[in-house]
Amino acid sequence: MDAWLSNPFVHGLVYGVVVVTALMTVTAWSIWFERKFAGRMQSRTGPTLVGPYGLLQPLADALKLLQKEDIVPKDADRVLFNVAPPLTVLFALGAAAVVPWGPEQIAADLDVGVLFILAMGGMVVFPVWIAGWASNNKYALLGGMRSVAQGISYEIPLVMAALVPVVLCGSMSVSDIVRFQLEHGWLIYSAPVVGFLAFLLFFLASLAEANRIPFDIPEAESELVAGVTTEYTGMKFGLFYLAEYLHTLVISAVASALFLGGWGGIGGLAPGLHWMVLKTLLLFGAIFWIRWTLLRFRADQLMTLCWKYLVPGGLALVMAAAAWVHWGAFAGTTATPAPAPAEQGAR
Amino acid sequence: MPLTSVLLLSMALFCIGVFGVLSRRNAIGILLGVELMANAVNINLVAFSRFQGGVVGQVFAVFAIALTVAEVVVGLALVILLYRSRKDVRVDEANALSG
Amino acid sequence: MEQIGFGIISACLLGAALGVVTGKNLVHSVLWLAVTLVTTAALYVFLNATFLAGIQVILYTGGVITLMLFGVMLTRRDERVMVENEQNGRRLWIAALAALGLFALLAAATFKTPGLPRTQAEPTTTDAIGRAFLTEHLLAFEVLSLLLLAAMVGAIVLARRHDAGADARGGL
Repeated sequence: MDAWLSNPFVHGLVYGVVVVTALMTVTAWSIWFERKFAGRMQSRTGPTLVGPYGLLQPLADALKLLQKEDIVPKDADRVLFNVAPPLTVLFALGAAAVVPWGPEQIAADLDVGVLFILAMGGMVVFPVWIAGWASNNKYALLGGMRSVAQGISYEIPLVMAALVPVVLCGSMSVSDIVRFQLEHGWLIYSAPVVGFLAFLLFFLASLAEANRIPFDIPEAESELVAGVTTEYTGMKFGLFYLAEYLHTLVISAVASALFLGGWGGIGGLAPGLHWMVLKTLLLFGAIFWIRWTLLRFRADQLMTLCWKYLVPGGLALVMAAAAWVHWGAFAGTTATPAPAPAEQGAR
Repeated sequence: MPLTSVLLLSMALFCIGVFGVLSRRNAIGILLGVELMANAVNINLVAFSRFQGGVVGQVFAVFAIALTVAEVVVGLALVILLYRSRKDVRVDEANALSG
Repeated sequence: MEQIGFGIISACLLGAALGVVTGKNLVHSVLWLAVTLVTTAALYVFLNATFLAGIQVILYTGGVITLMLFGVMLTRRDERVMVENEQNGRRLWIAALAALGLFALLAAATFKTPGLPRTQAEPTTTDAIGRAFLTEHLLAFEVLSLLLLAAMVGAIVLARRHDAGADARGGL
């Protein structure tokens, strides 16, 4: 039984199913949470009718979406139009494969895990663009083009922010980065200014890549009707909606693993799965808080912020991290560390 | 799997790329063929690095990928320039200099 | 197991590549190229070059495909989902013959080459690649950065509009 489970394919499949189910469930009820949360922030009560405290609202929403008529516009590119929604969910989920939820709970512990996360982040824009293009609608196309422009621009500060933990810990495997943090303290405080700024940069750039407020110009409803989702109905629209929340949840998990010590507890207290889940959910909640507090950027302001401030800032952070490692600021690490064990091929 | 089968695969890809470059009229269609050919070459580099050992093959492949990106940037800029002056990107129509 | 995996990857790769060169819609061709490049990354994982696979996905699909899509959108003649990517009828057969001939030539050359390595060597590590970049191949690395800068400046100069008001109206 044990030998059977240690086969990488079986292991990946089992953990994949568990992680995907958990993420989907959290996502469904996060929509209830967001509506309640937003309601309270605006002195409303949010959903109350379906189930106690409106807890069954996500089920009602899903049922409603399933009953809607499935419409494909006459002049749309049928194949691409239908292929885009599932692809969005796939790429939004992709990065979750390498996130370590606990010391043993990793679906695939790649030796280039950080690179894999960045690659998945880069792919997310394609289905959105495909949806915008295939709809044959000017608002959808504008939304798709904005999404691509925003995605490739914010990919650069995102890569730089993700490079900071890689440089500091000397490994590209996410679980090695977490283990390094268990030993030397969370990066957010153990490498004082650099770690904290890199965390902020990573968080901002990830929000932009997930098209969340204040960076949600691809679907700015006041300018573009509903952006790329304008022509979509029923469950296909539901998939876009689901993908957005999934992506947000996954980037919360990635940020907790890279900067907030992953499964390590506060003060070394009982490390394990529960800490990782708690940190992820806290970050996820913070994203809702941002969403209902801030306004939306204008398209040109968004580009200005990225190219004039975040990219130079990211470059400076990577150099600062390299200097930090070079002068051996972590106790026990030296300027030229021996090859890390995880870099000897994928496990 | 033996090295020869990987080489055959990359060869087939390269020839498909050649076919694309020769048969397309749209300038971007031709660029796509060039990309296929460059990709086939990279597969060869990686395959030899796997079978012969050593790091040089992969280092070279990274260089090749970066070069391809630079090539595409300039190539597309030229295509856009062509479109702006002729409102058409079919390369066999751009023959103003031919006698 | 290995044979089956390689067979599946090869079939996907060749199918997607044929999609690139035979598609009637230019947008579909570009997206088939994206599939080809991602499948190539899978092949790299298969050949134990995981770092290169990551680079391939980030640079090629993140960079090249996006550029191509923008190129397609900026050069289409009418506002339709279908962008013509026609084949040159007269040259179609010549092109097919040339490609097949080249394949035959290359295959013959490969089978005649003596001393091709038969067994797989020790896989290289990401660590070793990084070290090679910054020691042995440092000059090439620096020259490459210069080339990328030159390409960037060149592309901006080539594609820039020459009327003065364009900057003021710019943006998406």
